[in-house]
This record gives sequence, structure tokens and C-alpha cells, in this order.
Amino acid sequence: MLPEPPDIPPPGEAVTTAEAARRVGVAPSTLRRWVEQGVFADGPVDGEWPPAAVAHARIVARLRDRGHSLQEIRTATHEGRLAFGYVEELLPDTSARYTLRDASRRTGLAPKLIERIFAAVGFPTGSADHLGDYDMEMLEHIAVVLGAGFPLMALMQLIRVYGQSVAQIADAEVRLFHLYVHEPLLRDGVPGLEMAEQMNDLTARLLPLASPVMDHVHRRFLHHFVEQDIVGHMESDLGPASSELGRLRVAIGFADLAGYTQLTEQQGDLEAAGVVERFVANVTDTLPEDARIVKTIGDEVMVVSTDPAALTDWAVGFQTLVSDAALPRIGVHVGEVVYRDGDYYGREVNLASRVAARAGAGEVLVTRAIVEASGRHLEFEYIGEVKLKGFDEVTELFLAGLPEE
Amino acid sequence: MGLEFESDKQFRDAMDLVFRLMDEDPDMGPRLRDADVPQRFEFDDLDMVLNVRSAREGEPGNLHWEWSDDVDWEPKVRMKMSAETAVRYFQGKENIPIAIARRRIKTGGDVKASLALIPITKPVNAMYRDALEERYPHLVA
Repeated sequence: MLPEPPDIPPPGEAVTTAEAARRVGVAPSTLRRWVEQGVFADGPVDGEWPPAAVAHARIVARLRDRGHSLQEIRTATHEGRLAFGYVEELLPDTSARYTLRDASRRTGLAPKLIERIFAAVGFPTGSADHLGDYDMEMLEHIAVVLGAGFPLMALMQLIRVYGQSVAQIADAEVRLFHLYVHEPLLRDGVPGLEMAEQMNDLTARLLPLASPVMDHVHRRFLHHFVEQDIVGHMESDLGPASSELGRLRVAIGFADLAGYTQLTEQQGDLEAAGVVERFVANVTDTLPEDARIVKTIGDEVMVVSTDPAALTDWAVGFQTLVSDAALPRIGVHVGEVVYRDGDYYGREVNLASRVAARAGAGEVLVTRAIVEASGRHLEFEYIGEVKLKGFDEVTELFLAGLPEE
Repeated sequence: MGLEFESDKQFRDAMDLVFRLMDEDPDMGPRLRDADVPQRFEFDDLDMVLNVRSAREGEPGNLHWEWSDDVDWEPKVRMKMSAETAVRYFQGKENIPIAIARRRIKTGGDVKASLALIPITKPVNAMYRDALEERYPHLVA
């Protein structure tokens, strides 16, 4: 059972038509016309606009801007298609109260830098000109971090990673809510207003839980990666000295499902998506401690590790464990890469990806650098010098596996 | 330093302990029973064998295990390892694919079925370490 909603933002006062029109960005006469034409299922009462009605009016205004007729909007309202929009009222107020100049004065950050920060987060161009309380708070935190001596170059990368990751989280929250809450209610023919109330209630209970959950997950991962970093430092002290600033020596693995396209054709998108989900879960469940998934793109997983031998062992062992209609093909390579914005770039990453592309179903293909870093318990069958797509020089490839008993 | 058992009986107790934890856990137990993957563990350094299966209709608990090969069921998955690897494995200190590659665990049968058990049995790792801490602290990996 869900807990009672803690600290739900106050619903807010009902406002006059003039104030509602100002908030929506239309003339009061327009609002009145929309009411007369039955656009609202829960419009103003005695000229007073409750917060939900203002939120609804904002959605209507957006839909009108996009060319939808009042008739279409009325139908959509009564079918409950706009019900999710009411949820907006539960989100913090983002009204603009400050200019770029105000923010610069208050935080000590140059206006150009504030614009760069907003661009790095992924906020729309020009949004730094109209700032709300939360924007200001964020900039103040950033100013403190910079003041404490954190390098700007690193901070900008971190901000970009935050922006991309959090945008993905928000997108997933909205899409999943839409697919698994809103759509089923629509299919059940729940009346529009009742649907809005149900969704509003559920969101009001869930929303306050999102930040603590994310905060906890963030702390857990920080703990894990700090540990990994300490181990990495220890081991790099023992190994060859690293590279330039921002470059790392890591083992890179790419794994994808051979025959995935065919599987999609034969079994449909949903079944194939289930296979990918199991594959990614299996990789996640079995990866060695010092390895992590950097990203997944469709059926492809990119993994990095500071220990090339362990990653190669994992790849060979993993192939003995997997089942499913589509078998993985894995490529592993080790080399110096550029770490930027939470991702890994460079020639060696591209090479690892190309090596994986040459592997067959159930195979682990590796480069000579991996063979040299691996233990004797594995067998490496020499494939030959292979010209990989996009590379001028040939690459020696080996098929890694367990020796015959 | 490796884990050392004072006797075969101590190892057997330590294994019984982890299977009891899985059997009695209200989440893991029923999930393992439903997964229905009979397994045979061979601890080659001690020359001991443990066969485990889901409890049958009418049997108490979720899992049933016997320290013998003289059982009336066929294992689906076979795993051979040393006693030390086994205790480390159930504490979550052995990465299975790596242990397979490094021959610390040798597998047979429908190995792929054991992959499905990994996420189910993960919670036992911490429980087992706590239980060992209490009874056999020298076996905590």
C-alpha cells in the first residue's frame, strides 16, 4: 500500500479570471470563450479558477498554439486524454522572477558562464534570461562549488552528465506513467475528471518519493565508485604511469545479441525487447566488481573495467551461461581512452566496438593487448590480421575460450 | 589467506546453514521452489556431494537437499568446486563467470538455467555472511 502523501505542495488558492488569463498567457475574453464552449470539465466556479483549472487552461493554450480546434480539445478533455496535464500543478513553481543580470549579481557568476551552464544542463536556449527560485538556488550551489576550487572544465562535464541523466529519468517517469497508468484508464473508459483526480492522487503520493529514492541510489553508487577509484589509484601506482589529464587506461567490452534484428522480425518487438532486457539484466548481475555498464544502445552494451584480465574472464564465462534465441557476441580490447561527460571516447573505444562487430554468436573476440594481459587459464585461438572498418592498420584478433578438459 | 574448515562436518554445517537460509526466506524460498532447478554440487577436495531440488507437493519448506548421490531425481545443473569456493560463492565473493573461466567452478548440464538463479539468490549473500559471523567467523570471506 502506498504511504499517505508527505508534504504535498499546497493546492494553491483559486484565482480570478484576469489572474488565470495572465498565468495562462491569453486574454480573459479567450478564457471566457473556452468556458462557454465547454472546453473545461472542471472550469471556474463563480468566476474563481482553481489551480487544476488553470493548469488545464495552460494545456488548452498549448494545444491551440499547435493548431488544434476547440472541438478536438473538448473531445480530448471529456475522454480524459488531457488528464495527465493536471499533474503539473503538483510540480514546483518555476515562474520567472529574476533576470540573467540578477543571477549574475547574486551569485558572482558571469552572465556568459550562466548561459553556458544552462546550455550544458540542456535547458532551452534563452531560458537563462528568465530564472525562477530553483534556478537561482542551483546557480548558488554551482558558485559555491567553483569557489571551493573545483575545476570549471570538470564541473561543466558534470553538469552535462546531470542534465542528460536527469532528463532521461524525467522522460522515463512521464512515459511510464503514461503507458501504465493513463493509457489503461483511457482503455477502461474512466470519465475525464475522475481520471484526472485518480492520476493526481497517485502522482501526489509518488512524487515526494522520487527525490529520496534518487538521492539514495546516487549515494549508493557514489560509495561504490569511490571504492573503485581508490582501488584503481592503488593499482595504477603499481602499474605504468598514466597518461595525460582526462585520459585513462581501461579495458572496454562491447556485447550485443547476434541475430537480434531477425528475432525482432520473427517474434515481434515486445518479445525481442524482453530478450534484450534479460540480456542486460544478466550482464548487470554477473559483471565483476570493478566493471560497469557505461551505456546500452538497443541490444548493445558497453562495459568498461580497470582489469582487462577479469573482464575477459567474465566474457568467456558469461558465454557459457547465457541462453536465449539470440546469443551474445562480445569484443574486448584494452587501451587509453578519453573520459568526457561520463562517457569514454577515442580510437581504442572504436576499435573495441569493431572487434565485437566481427565476433560471431556465442564468441568472444579480443585483441593482442588483451591476450598479453590475460591469464594462462584461457585459450586464445589466433584468427589473423583483420582490417576492421574505419581503421587503416590491420588488427590481430584472437578467439578467447576455455581450453578443452 | 584461504578459508579453513576444522572438519568435514563443519563444512557440511556451513552448507546446511546457507540452504536453510534460502529455504526459509519468505521471498527467496518460494522463488527458488518455483524456479525448479535441481542442482548437484560436488565439493571435490572433500569428496562430498550435495543434491538439492524444489520441495514436492506436500513436502514442508521450499527446498529439499541431501548429502548424497543416491537420490530419486536428476540434477539439471552440475557444479564442481572446492569447499572453500563454495563458501565464498554463497557469500557473493565468487563471480560466477570469472570462477568458471578460471576453473574454480566447473559446470555441467543446463548451466544456462543457473543464470536465472543468480538474481534470486543474491540476497542470501549478506544473510549468510551475518550467519557465519555468528557461528563460524573464520569462514567469513
